[in-house]
Amino acid sequence: MSSEFKGGLLAAIPSLRAFAMSLAQNADKADDLVQETLVKAWDKQSSFQPGTNLKAWLFTILRNEFYSQMRKRGREVQDSDGIMTGRLAVHPSQHGALDLKDFKAALEILPEDQREAIILIGASGFSYEEAAEICGCAVGTIKSRVNRARTKLQEILHISGEGDYGPDSIATQVMGSSAA
Amino acid sequence: MKNLPGGRGFKPKREGAADPLGPNSEIGRKLKEYYNGLVVTDVPDRFEELLSQLAAAESGKHPSEKGD
Repeated sequence: MSSEFKGGLLAAIPSLRAFAMSLAQNADKADDLVQETLVKAWDKQSSFQPGTNLKAWLFTILRNEFYSQMRKRGREVQDSDGIMTGRLAVHPSQHGALDLKDFKAALEILPEDQREAIILIGASGFSYEEAAEICGCAVGTIKSRVNRARTKLQEILHISGEGDYGPDSIATQVMGSSAA
Repeated sequence: MKNLPGGRGFKPKREGAADPLGPNSEIGRKLKEYYNGLVVTDVPDRFEELLSQLAAAESGKHPSEKGD
């Protein structure tokens, strides 16, 4: 029984590390988070219902661990839109190709709750329902966080709307009025 | 855009147009690129060792310790 559980945990580690990295933004902290998650998961394995989504269950534990560590460190959890979009100017690289580095920088500006929501939905492959369960909130809350995250990323990266993203609009943004 | 024959039954899993983070979205594509870059399939030894230790510690316990 527990060797099956162990195999499940082992298989989930790459995903857990990626999610931890996206939350903690630091490889050492991320791996500590994964380690803590594995220990907690092991202790709680009797509360896992076989046949349900192990990955979602583990993500829930990891996420709770992340926030409880943040609280212990006394860091404010950013849950508002109060972060200045303009605080960090991210200028997409030439030729309209959005650089991954720029994207990462933009992602880091997002409040944690929005960042995790857009990652769970847009990258980790969870449904809105699963993401809501992982984050312990309503499906509608996840949807609105994802929308706000997407809008904010578009703002930061000067993607005015899907479709009219191209070198011309970027050049105007980067060079200002002289390019007009 | 032409309507595909086959109608309703012939939908992709997530509709591109309806999915704001789908393959037609620059944000969606970058998000996946970023995240896939974080997924490393090789599991560091420390995690394998940890799981083996946990499993070993458990098998050393009496099953009755689990309680009710």
